[in-house]
Amino acid sequence: MEQTSIDESQLVRVQREDFSVDAEIDRVRSRSKRIGGISIFLGTARDKSKGRDVDGITFEHYEGMAQKKLREIRQRAIKDYDILELLIVHRYGEITIGENIVLIIAGAEHRAEAFRACKWAIDELKQITPIWKLEHTPSGEVWVEEHP
Amino acid sequence: MITVRLFGMTKSLAGNQMSLSLALANGQRVKDLVGFVNDRYPMIGELIHKKKILVSVNQEIAHEETEIHEDDEIALLPPFAGG
Repeated sequence: MEQTSIDESQLVRVQREDFSVDAEIDRVRSRSKRIGGISIFLGTARDKSKGRDVDGITFEHYEGMAQKKLREIRQRAIKDYDILELLIVHRYGEITIGENIVLIIAGAEHRAEAFRACKWAIDELKQITPIWKLEHTPSGEVWVEEHP
Repeated sequence: MITVRLFGMTKSLAGNQMSLSLALANGQRVKDLVGFVNDRYPMIGELIHKKKILVSVNQEIAHEETEIHEDDEIALLPPFAGG
């Protein structure tokens, strides 16, 4: 049991610091030798939003609840899709344009389920995870409301 | 007294506070809390009624009839925008 919870805390994280995509892929790869297809979604900070210039972004999260919702997403993805592992890392704090924001990695035997689980997980993350985005623009700060 | 944590735009709507302290009795419900919030911050109250802002109790989304107890962790959650 102890081993399982240690693993889960590495596989679902909300952290201030940047992450290494390669290192996270290796983390997923090491979970099972049956993995034959790995799908990745990497969200990064862009410099335009709804036609406005964006100079930077600050993410705020609800500590505890955010991790809980991400764990639920990982567990549901593993249960509902034919995948072997799913990793989610989301950053918080100040993020510069071009930097990494969120990483989802799905490992499966075959590509189709890896793609499907990865897409479902990022869509679900946007719907149910208590994380908020403050965009810094030349005309002031704006809390983003929509999740396109 | 019940402390209500604020996130995102709810902090600005409440005059840049991080939380609200409400005189709610043990066993009152989320709808009572919403009433208190609405009296002091009608813009937040309106967004709760429109379901743009959700109320969570102990890190789960609550509904109007959810009972609130003294040690519960309450928060107002504006629209999520992760990812």
